[in-house]
Amino acid sequence: MNDGPRGGGGPLLAWACLQLALGTMLALWGEQVPALLFLGGAIPLLLLSAWNRVFPPSGRPRLLARVSVPVVVLALATAIAALGTTAGLWLFLIGAELGLFALVWLLREILVERRTVR
Amino acid sequence: MAGSAPVAVAGPRGLDRGFAWLAATDHKKTAAKVGIAATFFFLLSGLLALTMRAELAQPGLQFVSDHTYDELFTMHGSGMIYLFLTPAALGLGLYLVPLQIGASQIAAPRLALYGFWTYLCGGLAMYSGFLTDNGAGDAAWTGTIPLSNSTGTPGVGMDLWVIGVGLATFGTLLIAVTILLTIMRHRAPGMTMLRMPVFTWTMLATTFMVVASFPVLIGAMGLLMAERHLGGVFTGATGSIAYQHLFWFYGHPVVYVMFFPFVGAVGEAVATFSRKRFFGYRALVASLLLFTALSMAVWGHHMFITGAVKNQYYSLTSTLLALPAGIEYLDLIGTLVGGSILFRAPMLFAIGFVLQFLIGGLTGIVVASPPLDYHVNGSYFIVAHFHYTLFAGSLFGLMAGLHLWFPKATGAMLRERLSKASFWVLAAGANLTFFPMFFLGYDGMARRVADYEPRLGDLNLLSSIGAGVIAIGILMVLANIVVSLRTRVPAGNDPWGAGQTLEWWTTSPPPTENFTSLPEITSYAPLLDRRRGEEEARARRGEEVPA
Repeated sequence: MNDGPRGGGGPLLAWACLQLALGTMLALWGEQVPALLFLGGAIPLLLLSAWNRVFPPSGRPRLLARVSVPVVVLALATAIAALGTTAGLWLFLIGAELGLFALVWLLREILVERRTVR
Repeated sequence: MAGSAPVAVAGPRGLDRGFAWLAATDHKKTAAKVGIAATFFFLLSGLLALTMRAELAQPGLQFVSDHTYDELFTMHGSGMIYLFLTPAALGLGLYLVPLQIGASQIAAPRLALYGFWTYLCGGLAMYSGFLTDNGAGDAAWTGTIPLSNSTGTPGVGMDLWVIGVGLATFGTLLIAVTILLTIMRHRAPGMTMLRMPVFTWTMLATTFMVVASFPVLIGAMGLLMAERHLGGVFTGATGSIAYQHLFWFYGHPVVYVMFFPFVGAVGEAVATFSRKRFFGYRALVASLLLFTALSMAVWGHHMFITGAVKNQYYSLTSTLLALPAGIEYLDLIGTLVGGSILFRAPMLFAIGFVLQFLIGGLTGIVVASPPLDYHVNGSYFIVAHFHYTLFAGSLFGLMAGLHLWFPKATGAMLRERLSKASFWVLAAGANLTFFPMFFLGYDGMARRVADYEPRLGDLNLLSSIGAGVIAIGILMVLANIVVSLRTRVPAGNDPWGAGQTLEWWTTSPPPTENFTSLPEITSYAPLLDRRRGEEEARARRGEEVPA
């Protein structure tokens, strides 16, 4: 249950305004492409903030597995797939398959958790 | 009640306890894993530094080749930045932010665990380059084009460096996202933004920079991999400049990612051991936001000598950084003034941070000026400057945080005398190693070269001796941790007796769900408020107030 204050938009807005001012200044100075990079850097943060606003904390009890093995397997699979970009397609595919397996395992783990709580 | 109350669900049955710890989702355990992995990479990268300093103790080539030296400085810089300081800074936040804002867990514990493992795999991939035929990556921690393309550095080792940087950065980005979401979504009742502790504010500013800049590096590493295997991505002079823009868009903010959390740790240590409220809290918050925005706008100062950026803009924004930095210094000094100062080990490290970072910061103003930067760029002056910010600054800040919060995390006190001794050894070592480098650089000694003119031998020898002293200091810190954990002196909830923020309310170490109760939160120092309130109540009743 989350009774606490939500958001945190104020600092983000202040930061975004400063970014906009500095980016505009850079563009006016004649560096349009770097200015785009500069302003584009704020996009992930704004998306995250928008997601937080659209999906606020539900207020229901949070579910939390003490241990999550599939997450570890998923991370290893990501690393294996990434290494496949230099070792060859075979390793990439092993990583991808392992990743898929871990995702299904993770999904099952989450479903079991929800059933346990109910 | 804490800001959020998760229902803990047991993990799979029959798991070995050690393995269960490796897959545990509790933010404190994930943070501990990050801390241990970061320490491992720190020691590994430190060994590379010692090897370099041993080679540089005398002019001429002693025992490493030019190529090996290239690998050493590349992996030392990469290890320290991608695998040690950045993850350590975020790991500290991952442990403390939920405790400081009264949350029972982080926002996405599985994401943080995934982030840790991805980062660890990235680090191992990067270092595994040493096992390949052509050796590890050797195009500097920046991987600058054309040095890092398939012609400049052929072989799998450089590929592994690119993949390792990408994975490690992705992992640390995810950890930062969980910290940011925790601050946004799981603060305890009463914990408004302007009641968040100083350290949490520095973490919020840090996560802004991480989320804005780290994806750009991950993209740049993807493009670099494509360049190495397919070609045609970063071609010619334009390609090189484009890569530098992408890299430094990450490369400068990351300096502050490795700085802000330690400013926060130092702020907490200074307030705790001055036994008074943090001075200029709102000014600090404003300065952090200004600092964060400006730090995203200065990347071009790393490219002054290319002639491809608007020097005036980047020089102006870089010089403006002195303004928020000055406010932070003023706040730290203001907190000390009039305080009942206790010179415990965390306070010593905090003061060491403040004084030594000042040298790094002031020399930063020198290199923010293009004419001066033209003279010292690529020299040991730059090496001295960033080691004063990252080692003599950030590492001392990290040590302040370690000594301050170690009793909270483990329930055991560190040995005070050994802590103080390690501070003095580290301070002597840091200054002996890095101060001569300013003179070496000014005299024209180029960085990233294994040999130098004989006239520079004395200062280099001094610097190499200093590196050995640092190694002794680090061993003392590690010995202190081992001794303190083996023969434990129990720490209570508030081992310093002057804790101001919520983490000192709960047990040491905290339980899985962090809190069983919370005090009323009316400011960023709820425990200090509570103590003051009790003192006033006693005074009203005519009772004696304990000193």
